[in-house]
Amino acid sequence: MTTQAHTTQTRTPQTRTWHSGIPAGRIGKRLVQVAVTLFGLLLLTFFIGRVMPVDPVLAIVGPDADHSTYQQVYHQLGFDKPLWTQFGIYLSGLAHGDLGNALLTGKPVTQDILRVFPATMELATLAILLGAGVGIPLGVLAAAKRNSIADYGVRIISLAGYSTPIFWVGMMGLLVFYAWLGWVGGAGRLDFSLDGQVTRHSGFMLVDALIAGNGEVFRNALNHLILPASLLGFHSLAYISRMTRSFMLAQLSQEFIITARVKGLSEWDVLWNHAFRNILVQLLTVVALAYGSLLEGAVLIETVFSWPGFGSYLTSSLMLGDMNAVMGCVLVVGMIFVVLNLLSDLLYQVFDPRTKV
Amino acid sequence: MNMNNLLTLDPAAMTGNDIVGIVVNLYDPLIELDPQQLTNMRPALATSWEVNDAGNLLTFHLREGVKFHSGNPVTADDVVWSMRRIIHLNLAQASVWKSYGFTKKNVDEMVRAPSPNTVEIQLPKPNDPKLVIYSLAALGSVVALDSKTVQAHEVNGDWGNRWLTTNEAGSGPFRLDSWQAKDVLNMSRNPQYWRGEPRLSRVVFRHFQESQTLRLMIEKGDLDIANNMAVSDVTALSHDPAMVVDQVKKGTLYYVAMSMKEPHFANPKVREAVRYLIDYQGIGKALMTGYGIVHQRPIQVGMPATLPDPGYKLDIPRARALLAEAGYPDGFDTTLRVLADQPFLNIAIAVQSTLMQAGIRAKIVTGTGNQIYGAMRERKFAMLVGRGGSGVEPHPHSSLRSLVYNPDNSDEARLTNFQGWRTGFYDKQLNTDIDQALLERDPEKQKQDYFAIQERYDALIPALVPVSQMVDSIVVRTDVKNYLPHPSATTFLRDVYKVDAADAKPAGGKGL
Repeated sequence: MTTQAHTTQTRTPQTRTWHSGIPAGRIGKRLVQVAVTLFGLLLLTFFIGRVMPVDPVLAIVGPDADHSTYQQVYHQLGFDKPLWTQFGIYLSGLAHGDLGNALLTGKPVTQDILRVFPATMELATLAILLGAGVGIPLGVLAAAKRNSIADYGVRIISLAGYSTPIFWVGMMGLLVFYAWLGWVGGAGRLDFSLDGQVTRHSGFMLVDALIAGNGEVFRNALNHLILPASLLGFHSLAYISRMTRSFMLAQLSQEFIITARVKGLSEWDVLWNHAFRNILVQLLTVVALAYGSLLEGAVLIETVFSWPGFGSYLTSSLMLGDMNAVMGCVLVVGMIFVVLNLLSDLLYQVFDPRTKV
Repeated sequence: MNMNNLLTLDPAAMTGNDIVGIVVNLYDPLIELDPQQLTNMRPALATSWEVNDAGNLLTFHLREGVKFHSGNPVTADDVVWSMRRIIHLNLAQASVWKSYGFTKKNVDEMVRAPSPNTVEIQLPKPNDPKLVIYSLAALGSVVALDSKTVQAHEVNGDWGNRWLTTNEAGSGPFRLDSWQAKDVLNMSRNPQYWRGEPRLSRVVFRHFQESQTLRLMIEKGDLDIANNMAVSDVTALSHDPAMVVDQVKKGTLYYVAMSMKEPHFANPKVREAVRYLIDYQGIGKALMTGYGIVHQRPIQVGMPATLPDPGYKLDIPRARALLAEAGYPDGFDTTLRVLADQPFLNIAIAVQSTLMQAGIRAKIVTGTGNQIYGAMRERKFAMLVGRGGSGVEPHPHSSLRSLVYNPDNSDEARLTNFQGWRTGFYDKQLNTDIDQALLERDPEKQKQDYFAIQERYDALIPALVPVSQMVDSIVVRTDVKNYLPHPSATTFLRDVYKVDAADAKPAGGKGL
């Protein structure tokens, strides 16, 4: 899912028309595009879901149920209606803000997503802050000191982050930092003894602990969060620093940089005020995409750390053939990319001097 | 634990063992089975019970003064309502009761409360009353539900099913605090519990997908009990002095099934060849450690009526000869369906390689539980490695009903709950024998009848070849006391406690 997101999304900057802003008419057009895209996405997911050889009825009634029980549940779930009718029912529910009930939890899908999404978002946000915060300076450093030891160092880190299986890294992280050193908490969002001590408001454990003024839960939650977030951060750092390095290299070979150097500007000035400013917009897209794919749920890390997030919710719903839940998740992922695209559009305006003209 | 199969907390709709282990701690059954001596019945809500001479009326006398978590008293009406509810809802737990003859039409009449403390269950068709009592104790589905509370949450005549999916209305030793699917389930003790307050103040069940993570956490002492671990991790932990590994024998069997709807396997010679193309001992030794023990009979190990194994072994020349006699000297192509999980996949690979040695080229098709068993329910498979057979009740009929019995072999009968039907294996005599053995009131004669059934089944060369009986490995830290994992999954947590010298953990809870 991650790679797919990258390939489709990295096209965005190329299709951008650099010198135009976003006229009012275009926003309307954009919204129509978004609606059509989401509708297409739902249609595709729905029909793929219905032809999948997974039987949600069997998951509910169990493998030893007799035929009458099977038939009854089959009917209750509406599977005896024609496909188009089923899709219509789904859409009309959607129009009323009702995504249906999930089989996995027996609760409305909306409620489920509101529960699992903050867990993932908490993880992803911390991870992207670490990834971008460290990755961008490293990328700039590598470009500035091209072919030096520092450059090789950054490239090795980046290669390692990119190519080591995150599942394995997660396991090793737990082994070293949790089991041997005891620096961080184990799997899950909190220790067993603290579970349920803080009422859920936002679903963000850190925020909820702050609201409740419970320092112990806050420290514990942070303690559980830091390892998976760092590992994910390391993973996105690899991508971000590599992209930063190549953007910077492209800039540094340009004539205006040579001019600036000839004019006797300090290397710092050249790097940050001339070259880096120019790649800011591209970098924003890179970071936004990395964030987007983290928000889709880092399934493997969520599995290793028993993190009750969006990724593991989506995969287990898929395994069950729980289409209401799957479609709800698809909608959310679709929305994330729509929002990120819109945001990066707006940010282009802010940061790219050429679009202001 | 792994909460993948935890879809509902409704006792009438639950599927699988994991949920039974939770439900029995939130609710009270009428009677229960002693985990250490399964045929020993113990009183629970019912203080005593009796069976009439005809063997078709069971009477239970309820304990007085027991209260639900809501404060409502537990009455015979609640028990009766809960039992009727199972049949009327017709969800997962209805199967067994329907096979005993209960229907939506007769259940209201057959299950009744002649007085506020008496429950009567009349059997709609002849049965061994002992089996029915075992079912009441072992299935975990017939528990007392607080009918007033549940009825208050009824929507569109759903018998409160929607509400009970995520809530409870029991009288058990623990109350449900919260349940987040695939995340965590919290229980806290019921201070008014009639057997006395449970010793643990809280119990936390948490979902773990990854066995290695589980292992790290229990080693570190953050978890007290772990189930569903990979065998390699269990083996590693068994050397740790801080932990005990409990091997719990379950009633279900691992088997290799063939469909007799397939022309190849309709031929008894071919089935017999397959019987000699499985390396039972090799599989048992190399693949089943921690998962199961070699067993070749449809009735589970350890019952008085279970015959010793016939001692089948891998015998390729003999299998080749049988295949030649059947007209397949060069073997044939077929498919072997299997769950993409261990130990199923390894068994399938082993079976594939031995089949190949006699020329049967089986292509392995993997899938999830409902893909694999779904195909079997549709009778659309050739070969399959699976696990099944109720075996929940300590009675030979429990396994025979599930694995052998097939009263109607037509496609239209759709007896999908009988694996006998799914494989298309049908023998009129065997069905009659099973029916008769169940009704035999003389225990010694009944045992002999079950011996004869196993002999006949074996001689007929069944379409379902038992390979191994399931064993469940549960790792428990030694500071947890009184934890007795129950073979029928009804593990009671009410007497469990922890000796915690440092008492560092405030809640004294326990994780699974």
